[in-house]
Amino acid sequence: MMGTELEALTMLYPPLLVFAAALLVVVLPRIVGYTLGALSLFGVLAIALFVPDGSHLAGTFLGFEVAPFYVDDFSRLVGIGLGFLGAFAVIYAYSSEAPRVTAAFALAYVSSAIGAVFAGDWLTLVFMWEIMALTSTLVVWHYGGDAVRAGYRYAIAHGIGGSLVLFAVAAQYAATDTFSMVGPDGEMLGIAAGVPALLAVLGIGVNVAFVGFHTWLPDTYPRPHFAASVFLAAFTTKTSALILFRAFPEGNLYLAYMGGLMAVYGVCFALLQHDMRALLSYHIQAQLGYMVAGIGIGTTIGIAGAMGHLFNNVLYKSLLFMAVGVIIYRTGENDLYKLGGLWREMPITAVAFLIGALSITAVPGFSGFISKGMVLDAASGYFGGPEYQALYWLLFIGAVGTFLSFIKLGYYAFLHGPAQYTVRDAKTGQTVAMFSVGGACLLLGLPALGWPVFTDLLPLVDGTGFIGTEGPETLNPYSPSHLWDAAVLLTVSVIGFKLIRKPLSKIDLPDPAFVLNPATFYLGRGSMLAVTGTYAAVDRAAVGAVRRCYWAGSHPTLAVDEVARRLPDSLVEVDERHPTNGGRPSTIHLRASIGLIILLVTLVLTVVLWLLL
Amino acid sequence: MSEEIGSVLPILLVAAPILAATLPLIFGLRLERTGWSVALVTCAGTFLASLSLATTVFGDATHVLVIHELGGFARPVGIELVADEFSTLIVLLVTGVSLAVLAYTRVGGPRGNTFYSGYLLLVGGLLGLSLTGDVFNMFVFLEIVGLGTYALVASGDGPESAVAALKYLIVGTVGASLYLLGVGFLFMATGTLNMLDLQTQVEAAGYDNTLVVAGFAFIFVGFAIKVAQWPLHGWQPDAYQHAPDGVTPLVAALVSTVSAYALGRVLFTVFTVDFVTATPYASEIIVAVGATSVVAGSVLAVIQYDVKRMLAYSSVSQFGLIVAAYGIATETAFVGAVIHLLGHGLLKAGLFLAVGVVALGYGARTVGEYAGLAHERPYVAGGMAVLLIALVGIPPSVGFIGKWYIALGAVQAEAWVVSAVIFLSTMLTLAYVARLLERMYFTPAHPLSDPHDTAHDHAPAAATDGGTDAANGGTTGRVTVAMLAVVVCIAVLAVLLGFAGGLFFELLEPFTAEVFN
Repeated sequence: MMGTELEALTMLYPPLLVFAAALLVVVLPRIVGYTLGALSLFGVLAIALFVPDGSHLAGTFLGFEVAPFYVDDFSRLVGIGLGFLGAFAVIYAYSSEAPRVTAAFALAYVSSAIGAVFAGDWLTLVFMWEIMALTSTLVVWHYGGDAVRAGYRYAIAHGIGGSLVLFAVAAQYAATDTFSMVGPDGEMLGIAAGVPALLAVLGIGVNVAFVGFHTWLPDTYPRPHFAASVFLAAFTTKTSALILFRAFPEGNLYLAYMGGLMAVYGVCFALLQHDMRALLSYHIQAQLGYMVAGIGIGTTIGIAGAMGHLFNNVLYKSLLFMAVGVIIYRTGENDLYKLGGLWREMPITAVAFLIGALSITAVPGFSGFISKGMVLDAASGYFGGPEYQALYWLLFIGAVGTFLSFIKLGYYAFLHGPAQYTVRDAKTGQTVAMFSVGGACLLLGLPALGWPVFTDLLPLVDGTGFIGTEGPETLNPYSPSHLWDAAVLLTVSVIGFKLIRKPLSKIDLPDPAFVLNPATFYLGRGSMLAVTGTYAAVDRAAVGAVRRCYWAGSHPTLAVDEVARRLPDSLVEVDERHPTNGGRPSTIHLRASIGLIILLVTLVLTVVLWLLL
Repeated sequence: MSEEIGSVLPILLVAAPILAATLPLIFGLRLERTGWSVALVTCAGTFLASLSLATTVFGDATHVLVIHELGGFARPVGIELVADEFSTLIVLLVTGVSLAVLAYTRVGGPRGNTFYSGYLLLVGGLLGLSLTGDVFNMFVFLEIVGLGTYALVASGDGPESAVAALKYLIVGTVGASLYLLGVGFLFMATGTLNMLDLQTQVEAAGYDNTLVVAGFAFIFVGFAIKVAQWPLHGWQPDAYQHAPDGVTPLVAALVSTVSAYALGRVLFTVFTVDFVTATPYASEIIVAVGATSVVAGSVLAVIQYDVKRMLAYSSVSQFGLIVAAYGIATETAFVGAVIHLLGHGLLKAGLFLAVGVVALGYGARTVGEYAGLAHERPYVAGGMAVLLIALVGIPPSVGFIGKWYIALGAVQAEAWVVSAVIFLSTMLTLAYVARLLERMYFTPAHPLSDPHDTAHDHAPAAATDGGTDAANGGTTGRVTVAMLAVVVCIAVLAVLLGFAGGLFFELLEPFTAEVFN
C-alpha cells in the first residue's frame, strides 16, 4: 500500500508543482500566493525525502529517450536542501515585501533549478539549464535600475555558458549516441572525454564561477531586491555544482586545483569588499571552490564532502543573505563602512548572522564544520595523495580567509562603534525564516547527536561509515585533531584580523577579472560590426549581381551590345545604336542561313568522325 | 485481350492515320469541312488503341514485346513493328497530344482539308517512328515525319513560313540522309537491318569495327540535327516561330521528341550501353553535345523577345539535357531522360497552345506584349505560369522529376560537368521564365506597349482563316472554352505527374533491366 503511494509520488513532477505556484503567485492574493509557493516547495521537500531511490519518469522528448525526473542519493540530497531553503526563502520574501512578480520569477527560476537537479539525462538538463539562465535573468531585471545593466551582463555570461553546455550535450550525443546521465544500475556515466568534456567544463564553469568566469556573480547578486538575492545565492551555483559532478563523476586533478584557486581567489576578494552582498557573493565562489575541489578529487570522501558542503552552503549562505537583507531592509544601506553597532538595535538579526557565520567558517558545532572538514580530509595527507598536498594548503588558506572576512563583516556591521541607525529588528516572517534555516545549520552540526543524521543523508556515506580507497572507514569530525585544527584556524584568524583591519579598510583593489566586462563589450561590438559589415558587403554584391542579371535578362540586346562594346574593336565592331521606336531595343538577328547550317553539320560530323575513328 | 488482337495494334496505330490522311482529300471533293472531324475520329481512335496497347505492355511486370511482323515475314528478313515499355510511353504521348491539339485547331486554325491530311500523315509517321523495329524502316518514317512537318510549317500564311519550311526541308533531309548513310555502314558491317538482330550482329562485328563506329557517327549527327542540338539547331527556331499557332504545339511537342526517342532507341537497342561505354569518346561526345546545347540553348532563349522563339530555344536546351542523359548511360539517368522526354513534350504542347491562345485572344507575341496578361486573361496566364514553373523544374512537377533523375544519374556516375550544367540550366531557365512571369503578373498593360501599335515582322496565324485581319487580334471571341480547358488540363497533368516519378521508374523497369544489366 505504502509502495503504491510512493509510486504515485513519483508521478508528481516537482518542477511542475513549483511552476504552477509561480503562475498562481501573480494572480492570487498576496498571502495566498506566497503560501502556495512555500507549500509547493515543502511538497518538493517531501517528494525528495520519500520518493524511493532510482525511480524516474521516462518519456520521449523531441524524439529522444529522456528521464526528466530521476531520483538517486545525489538529487535527493540537493532536492531536500533546495526544497527546504526555497520554502523559507518564500516566507522571507513575503515578509520582506518583495513584489509578487519578483516572487513569480523567482519561483519559476526555482522550478527550473529543481528540474535541472532531478534531470536524469542531458537533454532535459540542457533544457532546464537554459530556462534557469532565462528566469534568473528576469529575477535580476525585474528590479530595474542598476540591476538591468548587470542583468544584461549576467545574461551574456549565461548565454555563452548555456550555449557551451548545449554544444557539449550535442557532442556528447554524437560521441555516445545517448543522452543518459546514469546507467541502468544507477552508475554515473559522466560526459565523454575530449570535445564534449572540454565544452562541458567550460560551460558549467561559467555557472560554478571558475576563476576568470566568475565576474557575473559578484556583479549581479548584490544588485536586485535583497529577497531575490537569497534565491539567486542558493540555486544557480549549487545546482551547477551537482551537474559538474554528474559530468565528471571520476574527478580530475585540474578540476580539484581549480577548486583550490577559487577558494583562495574568492576569499581574497571577499575580504576587500565593503558592499555586504558583494562580499557574500565572493564567498559563494570561495565555497564553490570547496565543492569543486571535492568533486575534482573524486574519492568517496571528497565527493561526499562536496555534496555535504553543497547542502550546507544552500542553507547558511542563504541565511547570511537573509540576515544581510534584513540590515538592508531596515537601514537601506549596502556599505559596511557606513554601518556599525547594530547588535544593540537588531539582536535577532545579529544572532542569525552569527549562526550563519559560524557555519560558513566551520566552527565546531555547526554543519559547515562537518562538510568542510570532509573536503579538507579528502585533500589532506591521510586520505589524499601527495598530489593534493598543495590543494590542502590552498583550501586551508581559503578557510583562514573565510574567517577573516566574516569577522570583518560581523565586526563592521554589528560591533564597530555606536549604532549609526535607530531601527527595528527583523519582522516575524524574516525571523522565522532565518531561525528555521539557522536551526538546521546548528542541528546538523551538533556533536554526537546532530551530525550523524546529516552524514547519513549524504550519498556514498552509510550512517557514519563509508568505503574509502583502503577499505571501510568511519567519519569522526569531532576527533581531537579536527578540533585542534579548528582552534588553530580561529586563533590565526583573530590575530590576523587585528593586524590587517586598518590597512584593509584603505585598500580598494578592483577584481582584475572585471576587465572581462569591457573586453566582452568591445569584442562583441567589434564582431557585431564585422558581421554586419560583411553581411552588408555580401548583400550589396548579391543585390548588385542580381540587379545586373535582371537587367541583362530584361534587356538582352542591350547587354549583348554592352559586352560587344567593351571588347576590342578588332574582334567585334559595334555600330552605334539608333533607337527609332521609342527607345525599344532592336532584336538581335541570329538567324543562320541554310548554307551556314550545312557547313556546321559538315564540321560537326568531321569532328565526331575524327574523334571516333 | 487475346494475343492476336494485341499484335495487330501496332500496325493499326501506324496504318490508320496514314490511310485516314487520304480521307479529307477524298471527302474534300464533296464537302468543305470534313478534315477536322476525320482527324478527331482518327486521333481519338489511335489514342484508345494506344491505351489498349499500354494495358498489354504494362499489364505484366516482365519485359513485354508486342511484335507485329509485317506481311508475316519473320526476323531478320521481315520488317517488324515493336511495342515495348519505352516505345509505348512515346506512343501514348503522340496520340494524346495530337488529340489535344485538335481542340485548338478547330477554331484557331489552320483550316482546310489539306491541313488535316498533313496532320494525320505526321501523326502516322510519328507513330511509325515510335514503333518500328527496323533501322531502314525508321528512315522511311523519319522522311514521312519530315514531309508532314514541312507541309504543316509551310501552311503558315506569310513568306516567313515558306522560308522556314524550306530551311527545315533542306536541313532535315540532310539529317535524314546522314542517318541513312549510317544505316548503310551498319548494313555493310552486319548485313541486317532489324534492330534486335543488329544488336547481336554489331556485337559480333566488334565494337571497334570501323564501319560500325562510322555508322554510329553518322547516325548520331543525323539525329543531332533532327533533335535540334546546338549548333545544328538552326532550322528549329524558325520552324517553330513561323509555323501556324495550331501547328507549333504538335511539332514542338512531338517531332523532336520522337526523334530523340529514336536516337535513344538506336543507342540502347542497336548499339547498346556496352558499345557507348567501350568506344573511346562515344560517351564524351554525346555528353558534350548535350551539355553544350543545354547552355547555348538557354542563353539564346534568354535573349529572345518573341515568346515562341524563346520557347523554341528552350527546347534546344531541354533536349540537350536528354541527350546528355543518354550519354551518361546509367539506368537512373536513362529513366530521367525518358521522363523528361515525355514531360517536356507535354509542357511544350501546353505552352505553345497557351501561346496560340494568347495570340488569338490577346494579340500578344513578344515578351513585352505579355504585360498585364494575368489581369486580362487569368486562366490562360495561370495555366501558362504553372507550365513555365514546371519547365524550370520546381517540384512538384513533371519537369522536376525528369531533371531530378537525370541529375541523380549524373551524380551517381560522377559526371560533374552534367551536374553543373543541370544546375546552370535551371538557373537560366529560371531567367527566361521569370522574365515572362514578371511581364505577365507584375507589369501592367499600358498603351505604349499595346501589341497593335508595334511594328512586327510576323503574320498572325489568325489570318489563315481569312475571315479576320491582323488588327483585331485583341478580340476574345474566338478563344473557345475547349482551348482553355486543354491548356489548364495539361497544366494540371504536369503537376500531377510530378508525383509519378516512382511510377515511371517501375513502368520502365523491365526495359531498363534488359538494357542495363
